[in-house]
Amino acid sequence: MRPSFFHHLHPPTIPAKQSRWRYTLGAGGMAVFLLLVLGATGILELFYYIPTPDQAARSIQTISYLVPFGGLVRNIHFWAAQLLLIVSAVHLVRVVFTGSYAPPRRFNYLLGLALFIFAILLDFTGYVLRWDQGIQWALVVGTNLIKTIPLIGNLLYIVLTGGTQPGLPTLIRFYAWHIFGLTLGAVILGVWHIFRVRRDGGIAVPPPPLRVDKERITRKELARREVLAMLMTGAALILFAAFIPAPIAQPISDINVMAGDAKAPWFFLWVQQMLKWGDPFTWGVFVPLIVLAVLALIPYIFPKPADSELGKWFPRSNRSAQIILAVIALLIIVLTIFGSLPAS
Amino acid sequence: MSDLSRRDFLKLTTTTLLTISGALGVGALFRFLDYQTEPPAKTEFDLGPAANYPIGSRSLVPDVPAFLIHSQNGFSALSLVCTHLGCTVEQKGGEFACPCHGSLYNADGKVLRGPAQKPLRALRVEVNSNGNLILHTD
Ligand code: HEM
Ligand code: FES
Repeated sequence: MRPSFFHHLHPPTIPAKQSRWRYTLGAGGMAVFLLLVLGATGILELFYYIPTPDQAARSIQTISYLVPFGGLVRNIHFWAAQLLLIVSAVHLVRVVFTGSYAPPRRFNYLLGLALFIFAILLDFTGYVLRWDQGIQWALVVGTNLIKTIPLIGNLLYIVLTGGTQPGLPTLIRFYAWHIFGLTLGAVILGVWHIFRVRRDGGIAVPPPPLRVDKERITRKELARREVLAMLMTGAALILFAAFIPAPIAQPISDINVMAGDAKAPWFFLWVQQMLKWGDPFTWGVFVPLIVLAVLALIPYIFPKPADSELGKWFPRSNRSAQIILAVIALLIIVLTIFGSLPAS
Repeated sequence: MSDLSRRDFLKLTTTTLLTISGALGVGALFRFLDYQTEPPAKTEFDLGPAANYPIGSRSLVPDVPAFLIHSQNGFSALSLVCTHLGCTVEQKGGEFACPCHGSLYNADGKVLRGPAQKPLRALRVEVNSNGNLILHTD
């Protein structure tokens, strides 16, 4: 048989131990599936969505309430985006907690991290496309944060928003980034990331002489598991989409008039919570960038786990990386919980 | 110069040219995106006849957004844009509270509680020749 693209991504057999759910959590695969779902539902939304301040929220209401299956399409797009962030975060934690970021996979770890950032930016730009009172304050605060960057802040603000306050040019720019710029970047990074997994010799396993468990599974079994994961994720998406609709509120009538809720989207609640502590640049830009830098440096500072410890959870030779990531994750979770409490 | 081989020289030239082109491209991209299609936001607001705001009145002007005060000493106005990151503050009792990160200002706009550092901005008010109140936000 002529090798197909499918064969390109699936070696004939892979070690059984490292293809268990409880090892990979299936998170990387689910992220790929969610990206495909986002692409398909996003393209469908393009047929109704109108990127102008007057029409945006109304066109989303049209697709949600009038277009047959429109509500389903929009809700699946929304839930797939939220799930993508969770699944990518779980995937990142798995990679660090199993020490799989070590050479030769260092570069692919960075690709994965960049992909995660793109997913966050896609989620934020998509959220702004609603242009309703629910997103108004997050947009004002998020763009004003850019202004606090020394020297280039004001230039960046105009480049990003197209004006001196959020308005029509801002919506058009966020739209262009959402459906084209960021999406193209995510596709390139995603394909590269998957290609590198295969190039780096599949997921991390001990070298053959050190393997205790020599059992292997075929590519057919691997594909069967992938399909199963997709079906389960797909079912979860449809359930969420059917029972918990994505929010939509009144259109923004005047960007200066206080209306609606002042909460950041859930994935930025931790930043919103830190902003309560003081200087906006320090807490809203500098600290998040430091967190990102620490994550990016993990494979460069911490030792490679011992060969015999590859392919399993919590290798003893890599405790420090695990502890650092656990602390970061815990802080973000605690801040998110505090940030989600109603203001007193 | 003699120990720079022909190959190294070509490599250096290529890298230099590529770097310069890249920098020029990024510069041009920023200039391209820096253009503003909309006129700048309005900085002058006509609030109607000054007589509508008697002495002792304190009125909210939501679309500025501002708070207009007419005291014994004449007209004054406070911008309601939070000096932390720009949310519009809400009037609570005699004070102004920001819903975004919890800054609190007193009736004169002084910071009672952070994260904001600076007081609410005082805006310029004048009465024009028709007797209308004009508020300036610049
Ligand atoms: C990784 C990929 C993507 C993510 C994470 C993402 C995320 C989001 C989010 C969170 C929203 C707001 C949803 C809501 O509030 O209902 C949204 C809206 C939207 N997205 Fe995407 N998206 C992605 C890809 C795409 C693609 C590829 C397209 C089209 C080519 C697209 C088109 C749209 C449109 C038209 C809207 C506005 C309609 C609406 O808000 O319901 N998206 N996106
Ligand atoms: S914008 Fe008012 S407290 Fe942050």
